[in-house]
Amino acid sequence: MTLPPSDDGARGEGARVAAKTPRPGAGTGASASAEVEMRGIVKHFPGVRANDGIDLTVAPGEIHALMGENGAGKSTLMSILYGMQRPDAGTILIGGREVSFTSPTQAIAAGLGMVHQGFKLFPSLSVTDNVVYGREPRRRGLIDRAAARRKVAELSERFGLGVDPGAPVAELPVGVRQRVEILKLLYRDARVLILDEPTAVLTPAETGALFDVLRGLAAHDRTVLIVTHKLREVMALSDNVTVLRDGRVAARLRTAATTPAEIAEAMTGRAIELDRRYPAGAIGGPVLEVTGLTVRGEGRPLVDRVSCTVRAGEVVGIAGVAGNGQTELIEALVGLRPPDGGRVTVDGRDVTDAPVAARRAAGLAYVPEDRAEVGSAPDASIGDNLAMGFHRAEPLTVRGLLRPAAVRAHARRLIGEFGVKAGDPADPVSTLSGGNHQKVILGREMAHDARLLVVEQPTRGVDIGSIQNIHARLIGYRDAGHAILLVSAELSEIIGLSDRILVMSEGRIATELDRGEADERRLGLAMAGAAEGPA
Amino acid sequence: MPRAIRGVLFSPIVFALVTALAIGAVMLAVTGANPLTAYQAIVTGALGADGIGNSLTQAVPVTGMALALAIPLRAGLVNLGGDGQLVLGGITAAAVGLASPLPGPLTLVLAILAGMAAGALYAALAAVCENRFGVPLLVSSLLLSYPAMSAASYLARFPLKEEGSSLPQTRQLPDGVHLPSLGSGTLNAGLFLVAAVVIAYAVIDARTPTGFEIRMTGRNARFATYAGVDRPRLTLRLMAVSGAVAGLVGSIGVLSFPYRFIDGALITPNYTWTGLLAALLAGAAPLGTLAAAVFFAAMTTGGAGMERVTEVPREITTVLQALIIVFLAVRTGIFRRQPRGDS
Ligand SMILES: Nc1ncnc2c1ncn2[C@@H]1O[C@H](COP(=O)(O)OP(=O)(O)OP(=O)(O)O)[C@@H](O)[C@H]1O
Ligand SMILES: [Mg+2]
Repeated sequence: MTLPPSDDGARGEGARVAAKTPRPGAGTGASASAEVEMRGIVKHFPGVRANDGIDLTVAPGEIHALMGENGAGKSTLMSILYGMQRPDAGTILIGGREVSFTSPTQAIAAGLGMVHQGFKLFPSLSVTDNVVYGREPRRRGLIDRAAARRKVAELSERFGLGVDPGAPVAELPVGVRQRVEILKLLYRDARVLILDEPTAVLTPAETGALFDVLRGLAAHDRTVLIVTHKLREVMALSDNVTVLRDGRVAARLRTAATTPAEIAEAMTGRAIELDRRYPAGAIGGPVLEVTGLTVRGEGRPLVDRVSCTVRAGEVVGIAGVAGNGQTELIEALVGLRPPDGGRVTVDGRDVTDAPVAARRAAGLAYVPEDRAEVGSAPDASIGDNLAMGFHRAEPLTVRGLLRPAAVRAHARRLIGEFGVKAGDPADPVSTLSGGNHQKVILGREMAHDARLLVVEQPTRGVDIGSIQNIHARLIGYRDAGHAILLVSAELSEIIGLSDRILVMSEGRIATELDRGEADERRLGLAMAGAAEGPA
Repeated sequence: MPRAIRGVLFSPIVFALVTALAIGAVMLAVTGANPLTAYQAIVTGALGADGIGNSLTQAVPVTGMALALAIPLRAGLVNLGGDGQLVLGGITAAAVGLASPLPGPLTLVLAILAGMAAGALYAALAAVCENRFGVPLLVSSLLLSYPAMSAASYLARFPLKEEGSSLPQTRQLPDGVHLPSLGSGTLNAGLFLVAAVVIAYAVIDARTPTGFEIRMTGRNARFATYAGVDRPRLTLRLMAVSGAVAGLVGSIGVLSFPYRFIDGALITPNYTWTGLLAALLAGAAPLGTLAAAVFFAAMTTGGAGMERVTEVPREITTVLQALIIVFLAVRTGIFRRQPRGDS
């Protein structure tokens, strides 16, 4: 059995020895010292050239960020590197040696590891069991649990991951689960770690912790390739940035010598106004009224007598450290979880116990946080996904019959309006890039023109250009007299869009801030204070 | 154009057929039979002048049951109680057909409707078990199947038993209560009834909002719920329709030659399981289900034909069917567990 990695272990071949220099500067050094080198990578999908001759060079010990608009080809490039897809053309060198992976298994054997967005862990097993799974240390044919635990503890210690090897994964917060994924890779000797949008699901504090871990890995000469849409993260973390646009490299930048504006411009080809704060809305009468809403959990209530109002022409933001009842509150509002007490009205109609369809009829539209599991049917076509909710009314259905031509036309209209980068409405949603998938759902729900729009994490995984676009649309929607309830983990988003901010803590609304009072520091303090406050 | 040809040549169906036939040929050759003669006998047995009628007769119940199971399967619901609903439909149709004082044609219609209603109500019961008591449909439908079969068996052996007969069967239905036959063979108007179901299912599936909701529920049930589809209600309705179609197949069986309910006669040919396989293979799509069911029916008659003219036992067609299913499954992954699902 191969043992878990020892840092100065057996792999110290030419490429790595040469790389012992502290931190590579410009990064794009001679190929002899590159850890990962991709040359002229081309990948076609029907109607799309996802990768169109991409070169990417990453030195050992480097943290390299990959940026680009939705659909620019980042995930495709990473899945080619990791052996999940075959390139149509191009060569890949790992540690100076040419490779041609036909499966991730081969990529792992060559020292690569990837953290996927949806984690692949067994929730009921412990951290140790998950980490060593499929490669357990053995003694006389039996799994040596003590040794496994020791090794996992040692790895966690060495790389500063701070994970308890005995804890069941189900009880860990998302950020820690992600570190378990990283442990898994380290245990398998990964020298190159690929992370595709790892921070999309993390709270700011978890993101900070992840970055400390990644910096530690780089200091141990591990190479990190990270895909992200967040400029701030790129600036804080990376050594170098490669920007993709339409399947080609638009820019290679040294982080220390660039600015967020320059990166944004390389991505979109135009100047982008970052972190814009929108003007206040013209507020009308109440649309959503919640009084004393309660959702019981085991022990403490998950939602504890929450009362709030969202009025026409107003965006109300809900902030809070994840797991303080935001999810349950929204589920109870939209009809996916029965409340245990309280009252909810939409546009004056009592919908407290109404089924989903009745709520939607009363004027509610909803963009859920989980777009693949809840917000769409990924195997179904883009057209069908966009038709959902419109399928019973004209023009999609006339005299009881669904009209395929109308379904297609409806899809094309929304695709055009929301700038979704998609081949054909008949393609499955699963072929869309992450950000375009999000636009499909957002477009559909906004097209309902409902009085109230409940939206969770509207720009998760969306590129900066599109974030600006989505924000402008949400504000336009508000200004057309709709009410918006916004839940976001992105503080700048909450502050930029909200007319009023509610901070949730332990199922209650702990603080309410008006748009004038809110800045990032204040909001951060309110969230932290709220989290510690009532103890 | 060449791409289209490539697409057909390398499609999973062609792959499965060719591979299964090749393996079957080897097996036949090993046992000393001539594979070509045997395959030829299957084709003649199924599609030849003598065989085609039998194949169609066989296709009626197989297709009927395939549809019964495909309809809920389209929404991701598995009805494992097809046998119970089938038999209940059959015995109800027999009882009504024998007891009704109305004139023949009216009694015929009434018997069919009664058989469908019996199947529908019984299948709906399984849905209620899931919706109300949280018993998974898979379990409730299967478990409910056994008492139904026992009840039908009891009725055929005691209250409704033909006097003087030693067999567990009802009296023969009067002349006017027979499904009109087509031509001189065993084929009868049941063919049109099942064809009507195929057409209705195909139209509803592709062209109505309800069909759309059913398909979307099958693709991602949580998405459907989120969008406002009332899942318990949909489950109830789909199960009722499924049971009605199964009951229709049972009624057709009883209203065809030998025009009586015989204990076990509806179950031993395995219509339910063949139908379920056909529905699974086709992903419950209407026309695909029809094609798969007709193919299985033809294989069955072809096998019988082959047994008559060669030394080869008819079981070889069962083996071929199994091989085709396995290879199709390998290529398409239809039986693979979906990573996504509702929990
Ligand atoms: N399996 C596939 N079939 C067809 N098209 C695909 C497939 N996978 C990706 N594409 C297309 O290739 C292009 C690049 O997609 P990719 O997922 O690499 O983008 P991305 O840069 O990761 O975007 P995002 O930031 O939104 O995640 C997109 O236009 C996408 O629709
Ligand atoms: Mg991506």
